[in-house]
Amino acid sequence: MDFVKAKWWPWGVLTVISLLILAFFVLYPLGVLFNNSVRDETGALSLAGFAQLLDNSMFLQAFRNTLVLGVSVTTLSVLIGAPLAYLVARYEFPMKNLVAVLPVVTIVIPEVIVGQSWLLILGNNGLLTNLMERIGIELPSFYGWNGLIFSMTLVYYTYIYLGVLAALRGFDGQLEEAGLSLGSSPLATKLRVLAPLMLPAVAVNALVVFSLVVGNFVLATLLGSRVPLLSVMTYNEFINEMGGSPLLQSAMSVVSITIVGIVLFLQKRVVERKLYTMTPGRAPQAARVRSGAAMLFTGVVGGIIFLSLLPLVVVFIAAFTETSGPVMRWGVWSLTNLMRIFRSAPEPVFNSLIFASLATLTGVVFAVLASYLIVKKRNGLTHLLDYIVIMPLTISGTVMGIALVQTFNTGWLVLAGTSSIMVLCYTVRRLPFAVRNASSTLFNIPDSIEEASISLGVSPLMSFFKVVLPVMKASIVSAAILMWVTTIAELAATIVVYTGGLETMPIAIFRQIDGGRLGLASAYGAAMITVILAPIIAAIKLFRINLFSNQ
Amino acid sequence: MASISIEGIKKEFSGNRVLEDLSLHIPDGAFYTLLGPSGCGKTTLLRCIAGFHEIDAGRLLFDEDDMTRVPTHRRDIGMVFQDYALFPDKTVFDNVAYGLRARGVSKPEIGQRVGQALESVGLSTLAERYPAQMSGGQRQRVALARALVIRPRVLLMDEPLSNLDAKMRTQMREVILDLVQEAHITTVFVTHDQEEALAMSDKIALMDRGRIAQIGTPEDLYGMPVNAYVADFIGSANTLPVSIESADPALSGKARYFLGGRLLEGVRGDARLDGKNGILVARPEELALTPADSDAPNAVPGAIVRRQYLGFKTSYRVRLHDGSEIRVDLSADRRSVDFHPGDPVQVLFPAQSRIIAA
Repeated sequence: MDFVKAKWWPWGVLTVISLLILAFFVLYPLGVLFNNSVRDETGALSLAGFAQLLDNSMFLQAFRNTLVLGVSVTTLSVLIGAPLAYLVARYEFPMKNLVAVLPVVTIVIPEVIVGQSWLLILGNNGLLTNLMERIGIELPSFYGWNGLIFSMTLVYYTYIYLGVLAALRGFDGQLEEAGLSLGSSPLATKLRVLAPLMLPAVAVNALVVFSLVVGNFVLATLLGSRVPLLSVMTYNEFINEMGGSPLLQSAMSVVSITIVGIVLFLQKRVVERKLYTMTPGRAPQAARVRSGAAMLFTGVVGGIIFLSLLPLVVVFIAAFTETSGPVMRWGVWSLTNLMRIFRSAPEPVFNSLIFASLATLTGVVFAVLASYLIVKKRNGLTHLLDYIVIMPLTISGTVMGIALVQTFNTGWLVLAGTSSIMVLCYTVRRLPFAVRNASSTLFNIPDSIEEASISLGVSPLMSFFKVVLPVMKASIVSAAILMWVTTIAELAATIVVYTGGLETMPIAIFRQIDGGRLGLASAYGAAMITVILAPIIAAIKLFRINLFSNQ
Repeated sequence: MASISIEGIKKEFSGNRVLEDLSLHIPDGAFYTLLGPSGCGKTTLLRCIAGFHEIDAGRLLFDEDDMTRVPTHRRDIGMVFQDYALFPDKTVFDNVAYGLRARGVSKPEIGQRVGQALESVGLSTLAERYPAQMSGGQRQRVALARALVIRPRVLLMDEPLSNLDAKMRTQMREVILDLVQEAHITTVFVTHDQEEALAMSDKIALMDRGRIAQIGTPEDLYGMPVNAYVADFIGSANTLPVSIESADPALSGKARYFLGGRLLEGVRGDARLDGKNGILVARPEELALTPADSDAPNAVPGAIVRRQYLGFKTSYRVRLHDGSEIRVDLSADRRSVDFHPGDPVQVLFPAQSRIIAA
């Protein structure tokens, strides 16, 4: 065999192909977006778009609001998530095991369902709003800051919780014992020894939450009608400029990419430098607490879990509840709404299933290949691949959708308006997660088993199929399920790229909420959650896969 | 079976020279050990022979066949890895059958050869187990069976015993030697454990920073180290700078040297020895101690600094009058008198002590 060929075949060739695909579907659309943000109507280079934004008081307000919302939600999420993690890591109290559902909750309950169910409870016609009204208490409106901060905090505190919990579990308890043995009091030890080592974990996850809030479109548009926010404004501009020059939508997109870019830069430069490597030690035993404290802890943790799970229950109840127009007739059961969506408008269900299946298939195949190249064939090119694959993580769904539509609505490859742009959009959006998932498994597969296969006379490419893939089976299944589940629920990008006939379930839910038909929205919601839960339950029951071990 | 010839191999990783113009000949059927500390290039050399690394310069031959550009999977090698590298999703049987299936061996023959291979490592009853259900020693045997069942031209072993506990390690030495002798297969064995190398090898190549420090039988390396590095790595040795009074030109001829103000007698252990300065190589167990007042030839006075009782021997640290320190081990039967810290003593140097170039 020719040596040059041996060097480039098969992995070099596959790396180049993967890079070209990613460059075309990720880098190129972003390039188009950036380019559109600095062109005037005649196509000449100009900063007119950004100048217009600076002159627009509405935009400046949205910009400010977005940052304020980001800081508020992040702060509250830290205040809930970090103490919760500490309680769970360090204390033993009744019903503590319930917290195991928390990682699942973030994935199983889509934002659109969270927003919708809290509207059912606290909205203008909400269950609790009406109850309170009857006893003479006027609840503040849920639309606006209250609803935004409340619902986003409930969605995002789990990120802080999971991050800090992992850090606490990795903490070497002997360090605290060393502090105590050197004569500092238990409280001082926690402040001087534990806190500084936990701070980076808190900060890293706080920055993630901040960037997610900035990019959040779903809750922002459902609940923020009176609060202009960047993501909603960008989407509205996209609708306004339809058919015209995409100047302002591009400029706004660039602004939000820049915000997230700065946040991620901070995370890399400032925070990661402060991450200490700890020799893994024994995490301290969780302490049993006295009955008074135990009841308090159980109450607090139970309350938080209750609020997190409530949307799930509410949506199912609402789906089976009689409605007349916008009014839910709680307590009166009916199948009307469910019958209606399956009789007269089942397309969103089928569309969701088809798009999610195709996106999952392409996404997983590509993610397995890409993560194999990134983890096992390290060189300059695969390093580049690593960067590009992760890139969509920094771009909110709305912005990603806008970039794809701008790029593929004209030219030799027109995808806008077809189902391929939906599949493409989902695949690109979820690729970073799938690649991370697959990579974490690959890191744990020693190179030697592949080498053993090669040494026994099997070519490198065949060794990949015969030895590496079978070992990755479990993680491929779990990556596929996570990709499927998150894709089914995707709204922020879908709302930008979909066209008539391509509605998915989240779109249907969104439109029904927009039209005030919360009963129909709930029927779609219940259908969507069923579709999301089915493969998760199957994976856990049939394959005995722990989906959330890497989370 | 094949001999292995390595001709002027060079290998560098991003500017870091790991193998420097290295040549070796490994005869057909030999058990050949590449020995050295971590970072000496021994594993890199083994992986070059396997073909996992392409070499920058030089040639690699199995018998007369140029293997330099042949990819690993066509080299017909058997390899045993440090972490065993068993396929975790396959049973013991399927692990061992893997290489035979790749070679398109017929099903009945696979059954028969795998059965034989498992029997030879004493695992016939565990064929349906998965690697995770086995002990380290058992996994090691599966790895051996898997590498040998394909009857490769050469067997390459990369620190195969380093993940086992001490007792299992000595037991597995015998298993490995039995198997490779029965198969009469050329074996290249990489280890950092000098005791393992001495116990198992026909020949050892001791490596030092990408070069060969010395090649020889275990007896050569222990008894006639060519320099202080070899003397120090194989067994333990006192290496003391000495000034030479006179030395015969012939190897193993007499050499007279000054140590601690005394004129002593030894042998020339290095053809390159010249001028006034040399290094005395003295293994602790070759030295002896007598009370200071005794009048012994070839002895240097000193004082005991520390005494360690080790059961079968007692190990002393002795400070000579010039300030240099030296270790002396007295075995239980040789120890007529015991010494304690502070005792003045004479250290007896045998007349066969070797002087090598500084």
